[in-house]
Amino acid sequence: LQTREIFWSIGPSGVALFYVLGLLSIATFLWGFARHLVKYSRGRPLDRGRRLPAGIRRMLWDVTSHRTLKRRDRLAGLAHQGVFYGFLIAAAGTTIIFIDYDISRGLFSVQLWKGYYYLTTSLALDVGHLTLIVGVTYFIARRLALGLPKLDYIRRYRGEAKLRPSGQAWRIEDWLFLGSLLIIEITGFLQEGARLMVDRPGWDDWSPVGGAVGRILRACGMSVAAADHLRVGNWWFHGVLALVFTAAIPWYKAKHMLAVTGSLALRDTRPLSRLPKEPENADRFGIASVADFTWKEMLQLDACTKCGRCHDACPARASKQPLSPRDLILDLRLLNDREQGQHVAGGAVISDVIAPETLWACMSCGACQEICPVGIEHPPLIVKMRRHLIEQNIMDPQLRTTLGIIGDTGNSFGEAPRKRPAWTDELDFKIKDIRDEPAEVLWFVGDYASFDPRNQKVSRTVARLLKSAGVDFALLQESEWTAGNDIRRVGEEGLFESLVHHNLRAMSAAKPFKRIITTDPHSYNTIRNEYPEFGKVAPIEHYTSVLAELLAAGHLKVQQRLERRVTFHDPCHLGRLNGGYDAPRQVLAAIGCELVEMPRNRDNSYCCGAGGGRIWIADGPDIERPSISRMHEAAGLGGIDVFVTCCPKDLTMYEDARKTSGHEQSFVVHDLAELVAEAIEKKAISVDQLPALSERIVEAVAKRIGDVISARLSDLLAQQLTLHSKQVVADAPVSPEPETPQVHDPIAGTGTAVQASQGEVVKAPETPFEISAPALIPMDWDRLAPVRPAALPIYDIPPKQGPRILVTIKHVATLVGQPGLTPESRDVGPEYLEFAMNEWDDAALEEALRAVEKIGSGEVVVVTIGDERADVSLRKALAKGAHRAVRVWSPSLAIADPITVARGLAGVAEKEAPDLIFCGVQSSDQANGSTGIALARILDLPHAAVVVGVEWDGAGTLTLTRELEGGVRHRFQLPSPAVVAVQSGINTPRYATMRMIKEAKRKVLVEVDGAGIADGAGGYIVRKIYTPQLAKAEMLEGSPDEVAAFVAGLIRKKVRT
Amino acid sequence: MGDILIIGEHKNGELRGVTREAVGAAASIKAALGGRLFVALLSDQTTELATQANLAGVDEIRTIALESPHFDSAIYEHVACSIGAELRPYLILFGHTADGMACAPAIAARLGSGFASDVFGLHVEDKSLVVTRGAYGNKLNVELAFNNKGVVVLTLRGGVFKPVVAPGTAEIVAATIDISKVAAQSVHIDYADPPASGVDVAAADFILSVGRGIQDEKNLSGFAALASRVGATFGCSRPIVDSGWLPKSHQIGQSGKVAVSCKLYLALGISGAIQHLYGMKHVDTIIAVNTDANAPIFNVATYGICLDLFTFADALKKQFDSSADTGAVQPDFQGDQT
Repeated sequence: LQTREIFWSIGPSGVALFYVLGLLSIATFLWGFARHLVKYSRGRPLDRGRRLPAGIRRMLWDVTSHRTLKRRDRLAGLAHQGVFYGFLIAAAGTTIIFIDYDISRGLFSVQLWKGYYYLTTSLALDVGHLTLIVGVTYFIARRLALGLPKLDYIRRYRGEAKLRPSGQAWRIEDWLFLGSLLIIEITGFLQEGARLMVDRPGWDDWSPVGGAVGRILRACGMSVAAADHLRVGNWWFHGVLALVFTAAIPWYKAKHMLAVTGSLALRDTRPLSRLPKEPENADRFGIASVADFTWKEMLQLDACTKCGRCHDACPARASKQPLSPRDLILDLRLLNDREQGQHVAGGAVISDVIAPETLWACMSCGACQEICPVGIEHPPLIVKMRRHLIEQNIMDPQLRTTLGIIGDTGNSFGEAPRKRPAWTDELDFKIKDIRDEPAEVLWFVGDYASFDPRNQKVSRTVARLLKSAGVDFALLQESEWTAGNDIRRVGEEGLFESLVHHNLRAMSAAKPFKRIITTDPHSYNTIRNEYPEFGKVAPIEHYTSVLAELLAAGHLKVQQRLERRVTFHDPCHLGRLNGGYDAPRQVLAAIGCELVEMPRNRDNSYCCGAGGGRIWIADGPDIERPSISRMHEAAGLGGIDVFVTCCPKDLTMYEDARKTSGHEQSFVVHDLAELVAEAIEKKAISVDQLPALSERIVEAVAKRIGDVISARLSDLLAQQLTLHSKQVVADAPVSPEPETPQVHDPIAGTGTAVQASQGEVVKAPETPFEISAPALIPMDWDRLAPVRPAALPIYDIPPKQGPRILVTIKHVATLVGQPGLTPESRDVGPEYLEFAMNEWDDAALEEALRAVEKIGSGEVVVVTIGDERADVSLRKALAKGAHRAVRVWSPSLAIADPITVARGLAGVAEKEAPDLIFCGVQSSDQANGSTGIALARILDLPHAAVVVGVEWDGAGTLTLTRELEGGVRHRFQLPSPAVVAVQSGINTPRYATMRMIKEAKRKVLVEVDGAGIADGAGGYIVRKIYTPQLAKAEMLEGSPDEVAAFVAGLIRKKVRT
Repeated sequence: MGDILIIGEHKNGELRGVTREAVGAAASIKAALGGRLFVALLSDQTTELATQANLAGVDEIRTIALESPHFDSAIYEHVACSIGAELRPYLILFGHTADGMACAPAIAARLGSGFASDVFGLHVEDKSLVVTRGAYGNKLNVELAFNNKGVVVLTLRGGVFKPVVAPGTAEIVAATIDISKVAAQSVHIDYADPPASGVDVAAADFILSVGRGIQDEKNLSGFAALASRVGATFGCSRPIVDSGWLPKSHQIGQSGKVAVSCKLYLALGISGAIQHLYGMKHVDTIIAVNTDANAPIFNVATYGICLDLFTFADALKKQFDSSADTGAVQPDFQGDQT
């Protein structure tokens, strides 16, 4: 019966040797396998539970269909499928022989592998091995001939031209893998050919490849004797190589065969759209070393085959940012393999192999994880590593500023929260306030749609569309804060959580509503996927699907089909992260636009470059920005009228990029809603003109009213001024001096209108300095008495441990909107003010913290004069690292002058006896620029103002650098203790994460009664406060020459005098 | 009697504009209250400075010879108090400068006098001094009084009071004041000029800034030349830096610098993104040129010009070419506007 001998003429010692080798091979394999298991066992637990059965089903489907491998590289996918199934058949063949030879025959002396069973497996094995060879050959040829950038390990995107040692190792590993596989296969067929040539069994048609090899050998003139020799030598070569190959599987690239099954089975369906939380009560944040990886993350690192699909897809890499997701994963894998999943004290950390700028380059677009055939989730890894960077205060200064602003105001624009609904002012109807009345739909507007002028126009268009479709919608008004999507992706988890809790609270405190809509895919993503993990939230829809529904249901009726040729950009957060591909396309079809798809569309859409917080981080000079590349891509389509977006950040990015990329004339950038409005409103004026028109009308009316009022006012003022002709407010912009009438002459003389409405506010009288009555002011130098430190109540002060630095902090106010005044008009009403830590004091605090850190001991005490609202700034200072805080207050200090404030601060300083005092040189609200120096004199200490450099060792002499006008720097020395008033810009103040702010609640904040401070001996008394007359720009009309003459006059007057 | 003492400020042997402006401001008070106007000059070259400070309205100049021309706050404070004790003025004036800020508050605290800083308006009402300064980021004005204060120390905002240029007939008196004790307090090391290439838009008082409206890098040099022609520091908005056309140091805005010292801001082709406004909206006088009448920049500008910026730049250049002071680079704006 048809079969073949397994150990023909090898001899008992040969067989024994082969078994020993075989066992060794299996042992080596198992050792490597176990080593990985031990490594994974050191990983942290999974971030969240998995439904494993579904994961395994999907993994099996992915593996058998090779679905993930065929995407965007079909040939490679097919070739791999050949290799995969060939390998599977080969493994099956080996198993069959093992069962037959070692079990069936070895234990029971029954031979199963014979007859048709033998013949069909022979045929299957031949076909399988052939597909394996074809696949491997394609991979080899592809590497040799195609020069694919994704397989190139030279980091050209970082400007490198040489292969790193790690890259060399990877290259060798790749060739070893492919080469050994090919040699095993070829020698296998050679073996079969030689066997068939020698044995001539008569059923060699069932081994077509082997038979053909045999015939070729014979045709080449090989004798049967030679074939017999070849058979023996080749048997050992082939056999040992196969055993080595098996043994090596867990030790190099081939381990993906095993790791991939785990990685795919555990794959998260939405890893980036729903980022993992930090473990509760964790002592450390994010990923700092291999000890912080979960075991799944380690498994995913091992699954990487270096296929380079992520490298190809990454917009950061393509724009020459220092990030390739492939290299990031490979570098992490090297580190993890070196450390074997455990961090040894003093050993390597992530920052040794991944530079911060690499992590900051990520745009969180998800292109890498989306295309990864083995289910690696790069973005959550990057975000976790960013979390650690944020904790370590390693971030771009602009990002630090933005995060600070968001913490203070709830929006990234640094605008007052109550200005959030300001975009609705220009609408001719009022939008419901969900806090007052229920509605069907809550519109979560988001930052860009609320504050960016271009996007405000879109928001108004969307509002009109919703209204005309009869949608019952409302806003959270100023109770809405930024949703926090990008803040989470930046890695500021604490701030993100506080934003989520704020918005959830605002929504649950609101009147009832059924669902949420938004135009912002970023807000959409986090509210849809992440908010539910923090609390109950209504379902959310993106406005594209709302518009699609309204059009389909006929609530929005198309009056004229637009007949435009448009292309459409899929926003990452709508498309790739949430599958919202179809709704915008349905809308475009409904309004009669011809959609020409971008070459990279839908899941292959290319990020605009704004995501992941990149919009808050300045690009380096050599960066080829993704938005520009996208504009070229659109222009390449030819004859496009409109580039359509449906994301506020996209609109901002592409409006910019269209201009800078040189395609300003080629097409326009519009939001989808603007096209819909055009189609349904059927206006003679194009829709993008509409807001402009309404603004113009409002302006014209306002100006007319303003003119009438200002004419009346100036008459009144003129009368007033002739009565009280003593006042001179020498503020140049509002009071052009009568001596220089030529400023207005060139234009006024020609009869064109330069509306000097501002100039008229304070009409300077002819004889401004004429004083009628003689003065009788006491010249009382004898009555003068130096200001003394205020006597304050005793409070608890710990004994000194090293130098003590006192830092004065002011909780400064900024005005919101048109301020209203207190009844006696001596200050602004508190409801018109918003507060934050003074920027200069922040710099002073940073200088103090650095001094203490450098010295290695000591204490930073922050002190403020202010009511309980100032605790916010003190807490922030404590979060940044100050040790204690003192707040002094009494209502009598409400509008205290700087001398009085300095007296109060001196009272604290007398008690604290600091070794150094740091102040900001001025406050951003009142800008007195005096408190620090007055404080020094009251304490009789040496002082320096406008300091931009400090050297101090904790005692003795200070070496200071003072900045003078024009940038001249003066270096000098002062003895300590002293008062040093620092200029902003001396340092970059550290960022206090929300977590640090929470933790600082445990630090001591003492309140001291400051009733005795205001003794009436201060520097001044406020008589009144008032709003100087300011208006929107006065538009200069006239010929270019006339206008230029006016400007030249201004320049000469303001600058050259 | 309303005697006034001005502490003169100087740089490189030149009397500074703020001191001339202080003389102008003092003249109004002197006219109202009577009394004499004194100017104190501390330097190693008092003779030359005294000539410059001999301005109309000044009654007497006190010169104090120092070994160095440079400012030392402790010495200035000591001298001001010593001369003050002798002359017993009602008002002591400084400029609101780095030097004035380092010294005036200390004098006020030491004397227990009235004090206000960064003052841009002063007048007399019912025989009392009333001054005006800004509040809340200069968005509001406050009027301050100094009840029961026998002496008032003020620092005056630069560039708002009319400087006096006409020469006067002041008596020049050399004073001798022992400064040995206070001089020992600080040890001078050196002065360093700012790096020659450094553009400091934060320190500039006049900025000509360009934005995306200039369209092409080739047009940049023309505007840079115009800036130097009109005596402005050359600034820009973020897109210009992003495009790599200018170094970051030129950028004004949230991610660049805040035009802290700017008094006149000429914005050409800048639409006024909120991040840019952050860096300049506080400036006293803003002139914005933009073709879009609805550009947000016009919400913060003092004067708006709805014109093509190349046309405007040409016209402005002509204004400076036709004036007496010539000799600078001649920009040409008829070039590439594609």
